[in-house]
Amino acid sequence: MKPAWSEQFDPDALARIEALNLEQPITKEWAWGNSTGAGVKVAIIDSGIEETHPAVRGISGAVAIEYDPHAETLARFIEGSHEDLFGHGTACAGIIRDLAPDCEIYSVRVLSERLTGKGIVFAAGLRWCIDNGMNVVNLSLSSGKRDYFDLFHELADEAYFHNVMLVSAVNNVPKPSYPSLYSSVFSVAAHERKDPFALDYNPSPPVEFGAPGIDVKVAWSGGSFCLATGNSFAAPHVTGLVTRILGKHRGLTPFEVKTILRAVADNVAQTKSGPA
Amino acid sequence: MTPSSDPLRDIARLAADLGPALVPAGHNELLRSITTAAKELFDAAACSMAVLDEQTDELVFHVASGEGSEGVEGMRVPLGQGVAGWVVTSGQPIAIEDVTNDPRFAVDVAESTGYVPRSILAMPLETERAVIGVIEVLDRRSERDRDMELLALFARQAALAIENSRVFTDLGRVLFASLERSADEDLADALRAVAEDAPPPGEDLADLAAQFHRLALLGDDERHAATRLVGEFIDYLDAKRRLR
Repeated sequence: MKPAWSEQFDPDALARIEALNLEQPITKEWAWGNSTGAGVKVAIIDSGIEETHPAVRGISGAVAIEYDPHAETLARFIEGSHEDLFGHGTACAGIIRDLAPDCEIYSVRVLSERLTGKGIVFAAGLRWCIDNGMNVVNLSLSSGKRDYFDLFHELADEAYFHNVMLVSAVNNVPKPSYPSLYSSVFSVAAHERKDPFALDYNPSPPVEFGAPGIDVKVAWSGGSFCLATGNSFAAPHVTGLVTRILGKHRGLTPFEVKTILRAVADNVAQTKSGPA
Repeated sequence: MTPSSDPLRDIARLAADLGPALVPAGHNELLRSITTAAKELFDAAACSMAVLDEQTDELVFHVASGEGSEGVEGMRVPLGQGVAGWVVTSGQPIAIEDVTNDPRFAVDVAESTGYVPRSILAMPLETERAVIGVIEVLDRRSERDRDMELLALFARQAALAIENSRVFTDLGRVLFASLERSADEDLADALRAVAEDAPPPGEDLADLAAQFHRLALLGDDERHAATRLVGEFIDYLDAKRRLR
C-alpha cells in the first residue's frame, strides 16, 4: 500500500537526475559515513516519546506544551518527563535513534487529548525548538488552517535563518498544509524500499524526498513494536540522515544540507563523478 | 410542540426543530453505505466511522459495518488514546499490520475498535476547515497499492456529508441571529432575547445572511452588480489561495 505522493517515487515514475558533476563527488560516505549524530540536537514534535522504550534508549529532554487561554503566549510549557499519549512519537524516535545512535533527542509534545488551540500549541512547539537551539526538527503533522499560514511561514523562515532543519511529512490530501508546503522545509513522502539509508530526490514539488515508510517495523507505546505505513514514518528517516550529516559537518545551512541529500539520492545518474 | 404565549419562542423552537429535520434524507444511511462500500471494496472484516465531539474531545462512533460493529456504534472514546486519536490530532493517515503479534499493542487498538484486528487502516475525515473524524478499515483480506488513496476518497465523501448535515443542525440559530440584524429595534430586541437562549452559531455567517437580506430589498441592477462583485471577489480569493 502506498501513501499519497509516494507514486512519484515508483521506479517507473521516478525522474533520473543528472549528477552535479563536481570535481570531487559528494558521496554518502562523505556525507554521513561513520557519523553517529553525536552532538546534534533533534526535536520530535509529536505525541511525546516513551524514553524507556528499548528502541529509543533514552532522551535528552522533554517539554509538553498545552493551550492556556490565560498565558501571554496562549501556551503553557511543562518541562520534564512525560508519556507518549499515542505511540507515534516513540515510533519516530526509534527510527531516528537507529540512524543516529548518539544524537540528543528532545520530545516536544504538542498533540494531546484536547483539540482546543491545537494550531497555537503546534506553533509554540516550533518556537520552543528555535529558541532552544535544536538543529533538526521532525514534524509528522501539519495544519491546514488558513488562519495559521502567516504564523507558520514566519516560524519556518526564522528556523531557516537559524539553521534549524524542519523535516516534514507531506499531508495525505493535496490541499494547503503548513509547514510541509513551504519551500524552506524538507518535505518527505514514503517510498517502498526497506534500506533505512535509501533516499530518492523528486524534482517536482511539493514533495522533495522519498524515504522508507511502507511496512516498516516501528516502536510503539508500552514497549511494543508494530509494522506501519505512512508518510509520517518516512520523515524521521530523512531526519536521521540530516542528523548524521550535521554530526559530521557542523554549521551547514538548510540549503547546503538539501544539496547534499540531492547529490547522494539513489536516483541521481551514476556518472564518473556521481555518487559512489 | 406545545403553543406558548410567546410566538417568537415558538418560532425559535420550530426553527431549531426544523433544521435537523431538513438534514437531507438518508444522512445516516449515506454514512452507513460508505462504510459498507469500503468494507466490501477492501474485502475487510469491518469498517467504522467516528466523528469528533468538540464539546467533550471524544470520538463518537456513528456507523460501523462488519465484525464487532454492534458493540462499536455509539461508543465514545477519549481523543487522547490509540491509533484513531493520533490520526485525528495529527491529520495524518496510518496503516498498521500484524497488530496481534504484540499483545501490548493489541490492547491499545482494541479499545477503539471493539475487537482485536490483525491490521488497521485509519484515515482522517477532513473538511477545508478541520479534521472532523476518522474512518477505520479493519483486516483487509487483500492488500493493494492504492488502498490508502482509495480510502481517502471515501473519507472525503463522508466528511462532506457530515459537514452538510451540520449546516442544517445549526439552521435555527443562524436564522434568528440574521433576522435580528435586519429587523427594527423592538423586534431586534425580542429576537436577540430568543437567540440568546441558543448557543451561538458562526457570527460571520449571520452577518453575511443579513447583508443578503439587504441586497434582496434593492433593484434588479443593484442585485446583478452585487452578485458579480461577490463572484469576482471569491474568484480573486481562490486565485490568491492557489498562488500560495
